[in-house]
Amino acid sequence: MNEIFDTILSAAFVAAVIRTTTPVLFASLGGLLSDLVGSLNVALEGMMLIGALTAVIVSAYAPWYVGVLAGLAVGGLLGALMALFHLRFKADVILVGFAVNIIAAGGTVTALNYATGGDKGTSINLPSKAVPSLDLSFLDAIPGIGPVLTQMFSGHSYLTWLAVFLVFAIWYFLYRTPEGLRFRAVGEYPAAAEAAGISPNRLRTYGLVASGALAGLGGAQLAMFNFVGFTRDMTAGRGFIALGAVLLGRRHPVGTAIAAVLFGAFEALSIALPGILPRVPGEVIHTIPFVVTVLALMLSSKRRVTA
Amino acid sequence: MKPFLEAIGIDKTYPGGVHANKNVDLTVAHSEVHAVVGENGAGKSTLMKILFGVEQPNAGEIRLDGTPITLHSPRAAIAHGIGMVFQHFSLVPSFTVAENVVLGVEPRNGLKMDRKRAAETVQALADRFRLPVDVEAPVERLPVGQQQRVEILKALYRDAKLLILDEPTAVLAPQEVEELFSAIRSLTAQGRTVLFIAHKLPEVIEISNTISVMRAGQMVGRVDKKDATEAGLARMMVGRDVALKVTRAKPGDHPHLCRISGLTIKNDRGLDAISGMDIVLRAGEIVGIAAVEGNGQSELFEAIGGLRPVEAGSVELNGVDIVAVPVDQRRDAGLAHIPEDRIATGSAGGASVAENIVATELENERFVRHGLLDLGAIRKHAVELIERFSVRVSGPDAAIGTLSGGNMQKVVVARELSSDPKLLLVSHPTRGVDLGATEFIWQRIALARDAGSAVFLTSADLSELLSLSDRMIVLYRGRIVAAFSNTTELTPEMLGSYMLGFAEQPVHERQAALA
Amino acid sequence: MTNGKIFLDETRRILFAAAIALLVALVIILIASKAPLETFQTFIAGPLSSKRTVGNWIDDSAKLALAGLAFSLVFQARQFALGVQGQVYAGGTVAAAIALSPLGLSWVSIPVAAIAAMIAGAFLGFIPGYAKAKLNANEIVSSLMLNYIAYDIANLFLRLYLASPKSGLTASEAFPASAVYPAFIARTRIDLGVVLALGAVAIVWFLLYRTAWGLRLRLTGHNARFAAYSGIRSNFIMVSAMTASGAIGGLLGALFVQGQGFAKIVVGFEGGLSFEGILIAIVARNRPLAIPFVALGYGYLRQGAALMGYRTDVPAEVIGIVQGIVILLVASSFTLPGRAFLNRIMGGSSAARAPST
Repeated sequence: MNEIFDTILSAAFVAAVIRTTTPVLFASLGGLLSDLVGSLNVALEGMMLIGALTAVIVSAYAPWYVGVLAGLAVGGLLGALMALFHLRFKADVILVGFAVNIIAAGGTVTALNYATGGDKGTSINLPSKAVPSLDLSFLDAIPGIGPVLTQMFSGHSYLTWLAVFLVFAIWYFLYRTPEGLRFRAVGEYPAAAEAAGISPNRLRTYGLVASGALAGLGGAQLAMFNFVGFTRDMTAGRGFIALGAVLLGRRHPVGTAIAAVLFGAFEALSIALPGILPRVPGEVIHTIPFVVTVLALMLSSKRRVTA
Repeated sequence: MKPFLEAIGIDKTYPGGVHANKNVDLTVAHSEVHAVVGENGAGKSTLMKILFGVEQPNAGEIRLDGTPITLHSPRAAIAHGIGMVFQHFSLVPSFTVAENVVLGVEPRNGLKMDRKRAAETVQALADRFRLPVDVEAPVERLPVGQQQRVEILKALYRDAKLLILDEPTAVLAPQEVEELFSAIRSLTAQGRTVLFIAHKLPEVIEISNTISVMRAGQMVGRVDKKDATEAGLARMMVGRDVALKVTRAKPGDHPHLCRISGLTIKNDRGLDAISGMDIVLRAGEIVGIAAVEGNGQSELFEAIGGLRPVEAGSVELNGVDIVAVPVDQRRDAGLAHIPEDRIATGSAGGASVAENIVATELENERFVRHGLLDLGAIRKHAVELIERFSVRVSGPDAAIGTLSGGNMQKVVVARELSSDPKLLLVSHPTRGVDLGATEFIWQRIALARDAGSAVFLTSADLSELLSLSDRMIVLYRGRIVAAFSNTTELTPEMLGSYMLGFAEQPVHERQAALA
Repeated sequence: MTNGKIFLDETRRILFAAAIALLVALVIILIASKAPLETFQTFIAGPLSSKRTVGNWIDDSAKLALAGLAFSLVFQARQFALGVQGQVYAGGTVAAAIALSPLGLSWVSIPVAAIAAMIAGAFLGFIPGYAKAKLNANEIVSSLMLNYIAYDIANLFLRLYLASPKSGLTASEAFPASAVYPAFIARTRIDLGVVLALGAVAIVWFLLYRTAWGLRLRLTGHNARFAAYSGIRSNFIMVSAMTASGAIGGLLGALFVQGQGFAKIVVGFEGGLSFEGILIAIVARNRPLAIPFVALGYGYLRQGAALMGYRTDVPAEVIGIVQGIVILLVASSFTLPGRAFLNRIMGGSSAARAPST
């Protein structure tokens, strides 16, 4: 038990949590935006996956940032596709989301096969790039806690800092700008927005495109920093965990970010645990992030029911 | 002088086949208050929606100051200076008054929204046009009368020259109506024009300069204020002398059927919707609840009907407290409920008429034995009810969602009455229902009462309440503040003061009518 | 409007979806394959090429039908519980445990394992339902999480208790013949599973359209508030629907491990098939009687894609793209020009009649 606490309260663990949280945080923020405007995006998983593959393939032939942009763009495109089928053709948003997930699962393997010339499992053959890390070792200079800070915050992906900035930016957008007001109006009471001359469907489209773009970014981070290269089904449920974070986060950017960090922490824990508790079966440890998500969901929803 | 607004030859048929507007003409002068009256289903709402760009006419022209305009969307209408206040408000509940008013045309300060300027502008408008309201209050906490002011401010903020009000007095008590009228007078005095739909004739005559009358989709007459009389207008609206009369309950023994004691119910925000209600309902009597929307009557019926939990108190039906009992058992004990909203609560749109009818009787051996459905019996029962209630539908297998409002309501009424209920809850039974169906439904409710049911009735339509009830109570902020026997001395004005909480009947006077 | 008209409408819709599926597949093959014509031929005619492939097609279809049935039950109640995959792993593991136990030496193990698998699946189906009813927890996320958890626990169980060292702890020994579903046509996978699947379809149809429980479920799906108002115990109905659906998922698990196809339990035996049940349910509009036909049609395409994956240069995963596109199209309600024309000829809309079968 002591060992577990020692691990958790270490700077290295904080760094690990920041690492694991980043992709989920992007996807959660995306999920938040689309949920706020009234279209729950269950395709975060598929969008992350496709974003990851796109980023990997493009970065094999272009600089790393082009790869990242490609992941973002393809995610946005998927969001637009969802908007088309949900808003224009009136398909249920959950079904459309699942269609995207299914297309992603099969489509990424197919595309991977062609991009690598026959490898359906990984992109090892491709010289894909990584997102550079931001070196903050100048923090060492701070008296006392310097080295600890360096260990916690230095060496993270550029995208991680982008994600942190985005939490603040999205908060500002939602609560300080007129566009954010309209956004929230559409999600809470579309009739009011319509009466005010705002097109709910147009804003929902933006919401879906934004959520796709962010999920794509999450995928790019996953395949260009957390891992370098694409493996089939590499998102392994992160998109759904992100959805859990959105539901947990009470529709607020800060709440969602905290929920995402919570899940990231448990994922990091599940990576660290086999070292500390070798007797616990790997499969059980692997379930930890999922179990935590379910329990957190149940407990938080319960509070809302009794309030 | 050129008229301000002209609608010429407006014709509209809805996709379902309803010919809502037949070659309608309307002329509105500058700075006047113009009312359009007619019964439910006469086509007034459709005409207004066309004037606001929500619906497109199949034929006809609209002219503003002599210039023809096309209104293909509310945006276009707003751009032409036309604003509309609907019966169902479109306000974001958690936003403040100022946020709701400026939504869509927010004042900016660079990237940010300029909240201060928004609040100041809205406050100035409110002061100028006599629409007092707290601009920083979240709209969900405001009473309905003030929410309506927010809606009007929305239109004024967008510089509306013509304001269309759809049944604005439907949700207001008599004194609030006076406040609205003073605002309307202030508007016309400052050069705005007001067009409104109504069907409460005394108010219409009081405030309007001109009254146009519609009936069955057509414009049948145009009357100046000086020539208008209630009887005359009513005749034009209905085409015959109106006498929707329902006889009072026969005198004699009306045993106790349902005793409500100390009933306390909370609303969705955790506040008391009903506090400590005591009343006795008797067999063979209709007790009507007069209350402005939002004073607890919805929650009261939801609670007795089993859709909302009860905080404290009891509801004894034939001696058995049904408060902690699930809905199916309440229905077994003799409860029936014609709900406020037939679409959201009273029916399952995608299911067939037969399935909707049998939904409340799935424990009845006539229709279900050993868990298996007797489809033949179910169908037969549905066919019987369809005939008895003259429901216009292709057959019992039609999806109920395809029926018109009046017919759907007939199915709901048929279903609820077919169980020979002991306690019948009736909520806004003829809202959105045409005249023929209204008469029919009123008769059926009276018949149920004469067969021995205790009927608890609530409606936003005071005339409906006064026509049907044997006893009347007034609900204000969740408490009974007055109770009367329904005699000819009872007038809407009397009820009005109680409904607004301006007066409270002394307890001993109340008691007589409550027991 | 008669029942016949509804049938015609639905068939037209399904054929339209099938045509689109083939078109999409053709386009992908044209782009991706070096020998498109042969590849397309493998895709279209492959499943009929031998007794074995036909057997695989039928076997796949039976499994797809069960998966579709499981989803259709919860979709009818307007819940989006997606836990069939987890239920399959739970049921399969339990069935395997019984098959490998002394009980497996007798034919009794087949019915016992089926029942036990259904109970395991029902338990897994119950959890998200209960969480939704009592705690208002979103069933999409909770059921999906349970899928991952069940998969992990099943693997754990397999590794610790059921696996044979020969296989590197990834598979069990072959089940004794008495614990394996007998084949109807020798040397194919057409086995008892087909009968069980069809039986399940019939039972679910009966439950949905001939019992009060089924009517309550469908009414709850149409309008939950109306159901509560009518005295229907919506929570109970929702939970029981998810539990019943779970039982079907569990049964599917037994079909997998005890069928001729595997006759043992292997890591990841389910292969993602459960989620294809979503497509089946959607195309069949959640109607049990339509499900076997949709399953046969889609099973054919699936088999074609698998054969294409083995024999040509286009990977089988292409079927995923086809699936997704079909779902998008079927779930939408736009009309192609031809459709509108056909509608006018045949007169009347298909929305006006409530389905009774």
